[in-house]
Amino acid sequence: MAQAVKYLSPQWRDEAEKRLKSELSPEKMNNITSSMSNIYQNCPDGKTRYLFFKFEDGNFAELSIGEGEPPAAEFRISGDYQVFAQISRAELGSQKALMTGKLKLKGNMIKALKLASIADRLNKVLSKIPAEY
Amino acid sequence: MTSRMENKGPYFIDFPARIKSIQAEMAKQKIDVYLGSRLRTLSWTLDAFCPWRSFVVIPAEGMPAAFSFVIDAARIADETWIDEDRVYGFVPMGGQDQIELIGDFIKDQLKGGRGRVGIESGMSNYLPEGWLTHYEYQRYSEALEGCELVNAHSIVDALSIVKDQGTINRFREASRIVDVGHRVVFDAIKDGGWKGMTETEIAGLAALAMRREGSEWEWSFTGGNEIAAGYRTGLAGGACTPATRKKLAAGEPLMVDIHAMFMLGLGDHSHNYLIGPATDRQFWHAKNFTDIVALTLKTYRPGITPSKLADQMMAFAEERGFSDYMVPGFEHGIGMMGDEWRIGLNDGPFPYWTNPDHVYRENEVLICAMQYACPEENIGFRYENPIVITKDGCEEMSKYPLGIEEIR
Repeated sequence: MAQAVKYLSPQWRDEAEKRLKSELSPEKMNNITSSMSNIYQNCPDGKTRYLFFKFEDGNFAELSIGEGEPPAAEFRISGDYQVFAQISRAELGSQKALMTGKLKLKGNMIKALKLASIADRLNKVLSKIPAEY
Repeated sequence: MTSRMENKGPYFIDFPARIKSIQAEMAKQKIDVYLGSRLRTLSWTLDAFCPWRSFVVIPAEGMPAAFSFVIDAARIADETWIDEDRVYGFVPMGGQDQIELIGDFIKDQLKGGRGRVGIESGMSNYLPEGWLTHYEYQRYSEALEGCELVNAHSIVDALSIVKDQGTINRFREASRIVDVGHRVVFDAIKDGGWKGMTETEIAGLAALAMRREGSEWEWSFTGGNEIAAGYRTGLAGGACTPATRKKLAAGEPLMVDIHAMFMLGLGDHSHNYLIGPATDRQFWHAKNFTDIVALTLKTYRPGITPSKLADQMMAFAEERGFSDYMVPGFEHGIGMMGDEWRIGLNDGPFPYWTNPDHVYRENEVLICAMQYACPEENIGFRYENPIVITKDGCEEMSKYPLGIEEIR
């Protein structure tokens, strides 16, 4: 896929699902069972959107995009759309975004530490999707 | 440190019952959530040692939650009795710093995010006490907008003063370990073994012996094992002697005050020696001291107060002509790790100091402690021993024989 798709559009979601399924094996995901919601505030149209991921035993189980309140998740990361966009474009590290308060994480930090490298793997896959922001 | 697997048999403490007793008192005082920050509260409620800044949040009902610096949170989760998913680590990250993380957690426990939150505010001579700082108070006040923060540490203080059997047994075992340390020190210094030794070496010998017996650490914030030789034993009022590189010398006194910890129960016993050849005057001082210690131990019983006991002991010292050398205090408080300061509640004439009129009750544990110091003669002694007040007296937890031996 060379043509860029709009970030967080249905097409972007389909491409993300395809890539996550093919590039992240259960072993690469450390066979985790977890879920995470990214909350994108101040999207270009002024709305708030979410991106919800769910893994079961390392298998990719669900990826959904929507508006309003996201499904309940073990971790919830919220921040400005532009911050997430910068992370997706690899202009900003997710750790730095968290440590400077640009992103907020809700969830148990002890578990989050165990999942940090997995989140990086996931972000790396998503960052390779050609996208328009 | 304590492992949840070890909380059984003679060392069993019913922690869920402790939490329920706090919650019952919270209900009486109309406190919706208790935010504990003192080391003593953390040990007493979590059964885990929390050396980094930590908090326990006790809701009106159900299991508490623990919060600590993330580098130590998983270890606390591994050791405490509370569920793993009730232990949180805080870090300087959005949504994860201690104020926001704990503030949000507390608000989730409150109807409409509003209510009365009990905090722990006060002062102590014990540096690691862990009172909520002024800055933390301000920040929590902001984070918990709409909540009333009220000082509530007396709840834990009142509930923890009389010890249960599990706690007492943990103290007994810590004292047994300390006694092993004393025997090893004695074997090392006798028959000329003391020659060339330093205070720090003695502290280390005792530490190794006690660790071999299962001691978790030489818990005292006063430098671990406190060893003093020569003039350092006689520093006026001096009841804090972290070991130094001072070498033991003939003709000088030696004070060996060692500490062991067993499942957050604390051993603390001080024994004294005279490195020979000792003079008659030194023996006179030594007899004064062992006699007053023996009398003090005979005098502790339910109903007596720190001031009554001090009056009786100082009268004895006056009669015998050594009152000038006695520090007129015969105790300090003790409880699970972090509880090492005043006796009784904060209800005395000087806030946050021992209440001289505190009336001892059965199963209170304290350190029978006294200090003898004659700076002009470079001699002094210290006695410390955890005691539990019994029905009609007290039980000395350290069984190491009272005495001041001359070591050749």
